Amino acid sequence: MELFIQQLVSGISIGAIYSLLAVGYALVYSVYNFTNWAFDAFMAFGAFIAFTSISSLFLPFWAAGAISIVLTIILAVSAEKLAYSPLRARKAPRLFMMISAMGVNLAIVNIINLIYGGTFRKFPVDALQPIFIGNVSIGRTDLVAGGISFVVLALLWAFLYRTRWGLGVRASSIDILTASLMGINNNGVAIVVFTLTGILSSVAGIFYGIKYAVYPMMGMVTIKAMIASIVGGLGSLPAAIVGSMILGILETMVSGYISSTYRDLFSFLFLIVILLFFPNGLMGKSVEEKL
Amino acid sequence: MSEEILSIKNLTVDFGGVRAVNDVSLSLRKGEFIGLIGPNGAGKTTIFNLITNAFQPTSGEIIFKGQSILGKSPDQICRLGISRTFQNIRLFPQMTAYENVELGLHSTPRYSLAEAFIRTPRAARIEAETRKRAHELLEMVNLSQHANARASSLPYGLQRRLELARAMATSPELLLLDEPAAGMNEDECKELVQLIRQIHNTMGYTMIMIEHHMNVVMDLCRDSLIYVLNLGSLLAVGSPAEIQNNPDVIRAYLGERKNGRDNAHA
Repeated sequence: MELFIQQLVSGISIGAIYSLLAVGYALVYSVYNFTNWAFDAFMAFGAFIAFTSISSLFLPFWAAGAISIVLTIILAVSAEKLAYSPLRARKAPRLFMMISAMGVNLAIVNIINLIYGGTFRKFPVDALQPIFIGNVSIGRTDLVAGGISFVVLALLWAFLYRTRWGLGVRASSIDILTASLMGINNNGVAIVVFTLTGILSSVAGIFYGIKYAVYPMMGMVTIKAMIASIVGGLGSLPAAIVGSMILGILETMVSGYISSTYRDLFSFLFLIVILLFFPNGLMGKSVEEKL
Repeated sequence: MSEEILSIKNLTVDFGGVRAVNDVSLSLRKGEFIGLIGPNGAGKTTIFNLITNAFQPTSGEIIFKGQSILGKSPDQICRLGISRTFQNIRLFPQMTAYENVELGLHSTPRYSLAEAFIRTPRAARIEAETRKRAHELLEMVNLSQHANARASSLPYGLQRRLELARAMATSPELLLLDEPAAGMNEDECKELVQLIRQIHNTMGYTMIMIEHHMNVVMDLCRDSLIYVLNLGSLLAVGSPAEIQNNPDVIRAYLGERKNGRDNAHA
């Protein structure tokens, strides 16, 4: 029973990190209809900035996080301005957008590799003592990671559904041309969307780095976010979050009760089984509601 | 009242080898209401698309309020004061009726994101005004009781009205209506004529309406001009009575399109 509760808390926490990643993909996909493969590079970038800020500049954790978020936003918006926006202006097919995103990804990951090398590094924060409730030990790192991730998701929801900028982003996700005819500035929406992408990838990168390790290819984990979005139902933010939670909990349960070696095997098997019985994902009706 | 607000000069656009709009010129005075008719494929909607810059003309000029609007982005054109509705309804179907209208009201940024999150009094007041204005617009098109309904759940006729309200929300000076009566029956058409006339009278917009329902066009344009387009070219301009008796127009509508003008009165 203790193990179950411990793994459940850990699973919710990793699920929350997957949610950040899944939502980041869904945002770009819903507005621009292409998969932003550079997203995992943004995540690694965010983690390395925070890593360097703490290990070399000896900044406190919150300051490192703030710097990482700001710089990752700048990186994401620059990628949009340099790699995506010129293609959109020339009305390039979405396949080209995806390839451009892969190029951005390769460039960033390899630059990180050149500077830091490919080794796994421990994120330089002191391990927090777990909290004991009876015999159940709950990782404080899990609580912090999960808690902050949920706060970020809640803020994102408030932004999308409670502000006029969010309204503009949602309208653009439905029909970007009509939105611009109603006065929504497409370039403004792009900056907003990629700013959000920067925030999400940086926060996810930092917490993933703390939970596991910091390395140039750490963005590979975003494949889990893709599985989570598909399991939940593609193209919808709430479904992406539900899918992420299920996947996170499933993984930690497999790690706890079977073996962490088989964790990813179960994730992919789970995807196949879900798709067999729910071809549109658990919550997917059609791709009607995108945000 | 008589200053010129829109002037289109020698507008031509080619799509590949097809000349969709051919040397069309027209000008509109402030507050004027004109009808734009013509057989299918005559280039009517293309002219709307050129005005809102969905694409660039091959040659020609579009002057709005004294400045050329060619090359401006759709949102810039919207903020200059041009709004439109669509032949095929293009609401945001997943959003509520209220949100559709609210979106149009936000086209001019008036407070910052920080203010919105801290909820400064100024941001709160502007938001209250936005709400009030959105409800006024919904009221004007008789949709108040559907404010929180999803746009996609509304019956067809109401969706058309909602599109009108959304177009008005951007505070346009020039309003382009693309077949507002499409798919409506006689009774609905009558109501629509009343509504459009009321909007024109109370809001003072300059309006261009594309329409196939001749009753609607003749009624709404009874004191103004109708422009007839055929195969991309302007075929005739005149009052409803003149247009109805113009042999070229009759011929164009009866289908003898290709050589209609060469052997007029034949």
